[in-house]
Amino acid sequence: MVSGSGLLAVMVMLPFIGALVPGLMIRAGRDACAMFTAVPTLLALIFLGILAPEIMAGGTVTAKIEWLPALGLNANFFLDGLGLLFAGMILGMGLLITLYARFYLSGEDPMGQFYTYLLLFQGAMLGISVSDNILLLLVFWELTSLSSFLLIGYWKHLPEGRQGARMALTVTGAGGLAMIAGMLILGNIVGSYDLSVILQHGDEIRASEYYLPALILILLGAFTKSAQFPFHFWLPHAMAAPTPVSAYLHSATMVKAGVFLMARMWPVLAGTDEWFYIVSTVGLITMVIGALIALFKDDLKALLAFSTVSHLGLLTMLLGLGTKLAAVVAVFHIINHLTFKAALFMSAGIVDHETHTRDIKRLGGLASLMPATALIAVVAALSMAGIPPLNGFMSKEMMLEEVAHTDWWGGKWPIIILATVGALFSVAYSFRFIGHTFFGPVRDDYPHHPHDPPTGMLLAPGFLAVLVVAIGLAPSLIAGPIVAAASTAVIGGGELPYYSLKLWHGVNPALFMSIAAVLGGAVLLWLHRPLDKAWIRTPRPEAKAMFDRVVAGTVLGTRWLIEGTHNGAISRYLSIFVVATVLLGFAAFQGGGLPEQTREMLPVPPLVGVGFVLTMLATLATVFAHRNRFRTLILVSVVGLMVSAGFVYLSAPDLAMTQISVDTVTVMLMLLALHFLPKYTPLESPLSMRIRDGVIAVIAGAAVAALAYSFLLTDMSPISDYHLANSYKGGGGTNVVNVILVDFRGYDTYGEIVVLGIAGLTLYALMEALLNGPASRRLRNWTFPPDRSRDRHPLMMVVATRVMMPIAALVGVYIFLRGHNMPGGGFVAGLVISIALLMQYMASGFAWTQERKRFEYHAMIGWGVIIAGLTGAGAWLAGAPFLTSAFGYFTIPPFEEFELATAMLFDLGVFLTVLGAVMLMLYSLSRMARYAGETVNLEPMDYDPSRRVDAAIEADKKDDA
Amino acid sequence: MISADLNIILPEIVLAVFAMLALIGAVYTGKDKLAPVLVWASAAVMLLMAIWIGTTGGQDQTAFWGMFTDDAFARFAKVAILLSAAVVLLMSEGYMSRHGLLRFEYPVLVLLSVVGMMVMVSAGDLMTLYMGLELQSLALYVVASLRRDSERSTEAGLKYFVLGALSSGLLLYGASLVYGFAGTTLFSGVIAAATEGHMSLGLLIGLVLMISGLAFKVSAVPFHMWTPDVYEGSPTPVTAFFATAPKVAAMGLFARLLFDAFGGAIADWSQVVALLSLLSMFLGAIAAIGQRNIKRLMAYSSITHMGFALMGLAAGTAFGVQAMLVYMAIYVTMNVGTFAFILSLSREGQPVTDIGALGMYSKREPGKALAMLVLLFSLAGVPPLVGFFGKLYVLQAAYGGGLAWLAVAGVIASVISAYYYLRIVFFMYFGEEREEALDTGGSPVLWGCLMVSAFLMVAGVVNLFGVEGAAAAAAATLVN
Repeated sequence: MVSGSGLLAVMVMLPFIGALVPGLMIRAGRDACAMFTAVPTLLALIFLGILAPEIMAGGTVTAKIEWLPALGLNANFFLDGLGLLFAGMILGMGLLITLYARFYLSGEDPMGQFYTYLLLFQGAMLGISVSDNILLLLVFWELTSLSSFLLIGYWKHLPEGRQGARMALTVTGAGGLAMIAGMLILGNIVGSYDLSVILQHGDEIRASEYYLPALILILLGAFTKSAQFPFHFWLPHAMAAPTPVSAYLHSATMVKAGVFLMARMWPVLAGTDEWFYIVSTVGLITMVIGALIALFKDDLKALLAFSTVSHLGLLTMLLGLGTKLAAVVAVFHIINHLTFKAALFMSAGIVDHETHTRDIKRLGGLASLMPATALIAVVAALSMAGIPPLNGFMSKEMMLEEVAHTDWWGGKWPIIILATVGALFSVAYSFRFIGHTFFGPVRDDYPHHPHDPPTGMLLAPGFLAVLVVAIGLAPSLIAGPIVAAASTAVIGGGELPYYSLKLWHGVNPALFMSIAAVLGGAVLLWLHRPLDKAWIRTPRPEAKAMFDRVVAGTVLGTRWLIEGTHNGAISRYLSIFVVATVLLGFAAFQGGGLPEQTREMLPVPPLVGVGFVLTMLATLATVFAHRNRFRTLILVSVVGLMVSAGFVYLSAPDLAMTQISVDTVTVMLMLLALHFLPKYTPLESPLSMRIRDGVIAVIAGAAVAALAYSFLLTDMSPISDYHLANSYKGGGGTNVVNVILVDFRGYDTYGEIVVLGIAGLTLYALMEALLNGPASRRLRNWTFPPDRSRDRHPLMMVVATRVMMPIAALVGVYIFLRGHNMPGGGFVAGLVISIALLMQYMASGFAWTQERKRFEYHAMIGWGVIIAGLTGAGAWLAGAPFLTSAFGYFTIPPFEEFELATAMLFDLGVFLTVLGAVMLMLYSLSRMARYAGETVNLEPMDYDPSRRVDAAIEADKKDDA
Repeated sequence: MISADLNIILPEIVLAVFAMLALIGAVYTGKDKLAPVLVWASAAVMLLMAIWIGTTGGQDQTAFWGMFTDDAFARFAKVAILLSAAVVLLMSEGYMSRHGLLRFEYPVLVLLSVVGMMVMVSAGDLMTLYMGLELQSLALYVVASLRRDSERSTEAGLKYFVLGALSSGLLLYGASLVYGFAGTTLFSGVIAAATEGHMSLGLLIGLVLMISGLAFKVSAVPFHMWTPDVYEGSPTPVTAFFATAPKVAAMGLFARLLFDAFGGAIADWSQVVALLSLLSMFLGAIAAIGQRNIKRLMAYSSITHMGFALMGLAAGTAFGVQAMLVYMAIYVTMNVGTFAFILSLSREGQPVTDIGALGMYSKREPGKALAMLVLLFSLAGVPPLVGFFGKLYVLQAAYGGGLAWLAVAGVIASVISAYYYLRIVFFMYFGEEREEALDTGGSPVLWGCLMVSAFLMVAGVVNLFGVEGAAAAAAATLVN
């Protein structure tokens, strides 16, 4: 004995497994393909049949498979009355459609593909109907969107199909995604994603503060899927799909998924005012509007499509009413609608197939030409109109009866009138469908001469028509048990309200409403021609056009918005970046509050105040003068100078020394480089933008200043104590900065000099590439400003630098040697000597100085790095890690005792590298100058007084002679 | 001691040494002629490293006094980084050589940036963090402007560099504040100072500045502005690279910083991250609607996806980190496939990025169109494809972390973003057919990547290939 749960799980899997079959079988021919497609469906139906008795008896069958338990997502299935009804409908209709499509599709259509998609879709629908996990239900839900997209898009050659498929996918897909949020909320309220658990917690859910958002989100999913107002517009446009698809998806199954969901969730969501007003109102509006539009549609399938919309509205309204009896009626009508609407779609398909047109205005009189089709269509359409003794009559009567007892928006009458009007339109379009297609005179201008199709094609609609009549005549016998079982499931167990499925309920309000509807409908049809003209003339909102406009408008709007903000301007990006950071910082500031100030503000002597103001003024001036680049450079150097002065004041002479020498070298090199760049920065932004940037900059600057201020006023333990304590002990030096550089952070310094060396070499290499590239032509055509000095190498400067040279060199050596204990060191020494040499170059010109150069700068860099590296590696010999320094005291007469540290050797490497790198940069720059036509002088100065003296002597000699 | 440390960072050392040797070797020998060999060799080395890291390493260990952490989290991220980088590198070979961009520096730069990424996700110290970040960024700046003769590419590189420098500056400033107020650069020390409710202002602002610096790297709104320009301007293989491995690394680093250094003060950053997430999801979703260029569209798409991944972080729970990791793994897989598709688009040999050109693509290339359809649906997060599970994970995490509003907002953003993914599907299946048809066929590597990625999106629904288990273990080491 196979267990029920096993059967259930296999049943769900069957269509998916079966989806592989048609692709394999299509080579065996169309009949074989159709047959093999039917097999999994039939098997699933048989399984369902085996399970049915247990369900009918009031039980449920469940199957639980762990999937992703961490997410609460499990492949749990359960089958109850409602699931049984829908599963039966899906599988049964699937079988009929398979049969019908076999005859409907022509030889050229890729049938295997069609059946594959069909089975995929069927599996998804089946999954929805038996899911016991709302997340699993979501999975299947979106799977139907996906597979229906493939089915709708199956006939790719039809242009009208494109828009329809896109709209269907956009609307239902988006609705489904919205539903995810609703389901998540629901699951979190209850604490479980299992439907069977959720259904037990109705009160808890309705009482939750998240009830309304969850309701709205879930209803969004249901309404979009079931084409409820205002999302009703996608359904008719999706009808460009082949008729079997329309019949299956758009009348029998997929669009009912929304209704199914509302029915499924009925026990937990219904019964509140929100539910009542939202759902019943939407349903009623949809019902009336759908019926009205259907009346004036000329395309047979469009007429049926809008009629489907209308009937879905009816079902929604019934579920929305929230009474148990209404729910029962809804279940009953689901069955009835399925039978007559699918039969009608198939008949319309047959008409299309035979006459090659679906335009009602080009048809008529088909009854005598295709009597079998006409019979089926008439029976089904009369049921749709609600004419006794057919099944449609009964559910409509029950609906009207239910409506007549409902208070809606403050009274009985509004809903009674609207429902009757809806029914009236429904009668009218049903009559029109029959009357204008099958009756009337036989025409001779059909695009193709019609006759009844082969029997195979008639089988499916015929079977449904028989059902229509049978249910009408013996409702409780045929539909009674399943209606009872499904209704019990919808209302969440418990006693079913009293109802009876029979044709004659006696004289009651519903009967009068029905009679009014039928009569009114007949009158409308009689008046159809003038009304139709009026309808065409009246302007009315076209939902599709509105959808298109909304989409187009949104696209344009976002494009405008995004192209406006993401316009590629980096200044804008930077400003957004800075503003966002400041705002985030402000938020943090709000959150953290000011720290306690534990330190007093230091006194500000006047001199320091002056320096401070100077710094600020120079900074400000830089901002205003930045377009003149030379001036900017000078102003920036003022800032650098003041910073060094600040270091001196704050007792950091070593830092001051480094700062000032680095600053000098940089400014000099930049001066030389600026020579080849534009002297002025062009004005690129309007004043408004500059003001904006100014404001942003001031705010950001103020924020940083405030931060620094508050930081400086709090006590903290800096790491300097550690270094102060250990610099002599560990590194043998009292100049902490130098000890840090060459000892504690020797690695760092080593890396830095390597980087500095690389920078120098890179500059050299880049210049090489530049001078061989297109830029060299520009350089060669360089024109110097006319006002340049003729005395480029002035006497005074040459003399001064020459005198300075040995002094500077001595200072450099001094700084180098004292570096370990006093302010100084290899880095600063290198810079000082660089400056001295730089001055020579500036005074006497490049070529003159170059001739006196003894060492290659490249080699200097290389040796520097090598010496530093070897010094570090030397530590290995002593068994210590790389760059461990050692020091000792030595006495070499006549000198006093002095200290030697290995760090000094390392410092020498630093010195050489710095010197080499700076000089190499200078060399690169002067190469550029010579390219630009700078004359080369071999004399130290342009005007050499000694020559004049010589000349005078010569002249004297001449005179003497 | 030092040998044990070196042992721990051996994978990084191997990659770095390989990259340097490759660079020197190529300079002195065949130069660009060696590029294809280098590409394959680099990819092979990265794959080997991924397998090595993925299969070894049991317990968590730290190197260099805690500056470098080797734990399950780092290993998870590293495997994702290495695999995606290797695959993207392979994918780019054909495109780069066809357009004369295949320089030998390219694989070397990719390798170096991967080393940087590996250091990033292993960072246990502010210094390591910055070092890894810069190593990665500097290589990326160069790669972005690889097409030197194209204005767009150089502009992209320059923009990326300038903005990146600003973000690095902010990060550094933040780091110095954190150091100043915590008194140490070690994460293990920072976490002791940064406790819930007792965060000093300096730490808080330092944290915020570091978050904005990192938000730039993951291109979270409002620090995202570079993304569309750089995605559009860079050569497509580089864009593909940008969209995959660096995102994982930046996200990993983000998580590391937030949990390892500031895990004691979750309430202080959770809201900020949630805000970034919210803005990213919506801006990305809305901005992509009007895009016609598929590379730009993918840029906005990545912004949205980063928003979702940040949602996992914002939750501030172990489950949230797990969700983020799962999301990133899925995201990278999807993006590899999508970019394989984009790379294969060409007309008469010229790359095509206009979405409109895809009109009726399904007719000529049904297989590729179907694979792309699967990927796009997965990107949109449509069930039952794997992309949906990623979204579900982060949504659950956000909800569980008390951010119900963020979860709901996320769903709305995903609804909006579904529109533009589906629009591409629409073009492929129903769009107007253009006069000039796109080329058919193409590189088997790209075809393979596309198909495998699409297949994973379908087959992964069974159990996500066990990624969640690994992610859970990884998250557990980070959050405790």
